[in-house]
Amino acid sequence: MRMYEFQLLSQDDQIAILYQEGIYIGKKKADKTTLLYQLASFYVEITYASYRRVIQNIVYSESTSVLDPYLEQIPIEYLVT
Amino acid sequence: MTLKNIIFYADDDTDDLELVQDAFARFTNNVEVVTAKDGVQALSYLQSLNIQTPTPCLIILDINMSILNGRDVLKKIKELPHLSTVPVVLFSTSSSTLDQEFAKKYDAGFVTKPLDVSQMEMITELFIDHCSDEIKRNIRRHLS
Repeated sequence: MRMYEFQLLSQDDQIAILYQEGIYIGKKKADKTTLLYQLASFYVEITYASYRRVIQNIVYSESTSVLDPYLEQIPIEYLVT
Repeated sequence: MTLKNIIFYADDDTDDLELVQDAFARFTNNVEVVTAKDGVQALSYLQSLNIQTPTPCLIILDINMSILNGRDVLKKIKELPHLSTVPVVLFSTSSSTLDQEFAKKYDAGFVTKPLDVSQMEMITELFIDHCSDEIKRNIRRHLS
């Protein structure tokens, strides 16, 4: 699935696909909680007004720069032998 | 008076604790959700259970707890004879294959945390599906 195809879906459908197929990258907790997922070749960042209850906004990106705030959470120990 | 089925849930995220408690609210007639806020508290509670105290019918463990994670609690639970038949489910935001394989190795279930509260009804059913047939019937009886 391409990013623009995903963006055309309803929010409910996007959430359902992310739940089934998304790869969880990490969580940011500040004033609001944000979760980052990878789906195919793009990233989806969900910010909650109320965690897991009310979605405030969803941001889509094909740039790996969205990973930067989450890098410390990405496990790499399994890559090192 | 019939004793309620106890579902034990350990998570260091208070939002997730509330979410699961709310999800089981519709089974309130025959389910009680007992919670712990970290792995140490969870293990302490589970180790303290004896023949006089009701045993949970299901144990749900968050994986990424800051004090003693869910994987380590699961390993310890498997060493406790009085909990040998109690189903355990690892519950995590990540759907990592490694975590799923770990759960399978220790004969536990694996359920991914929801992205939205609307998915909690489906997830609650997944939790109940891990219980024994008798408990499943008992929990769902009051809804039919």
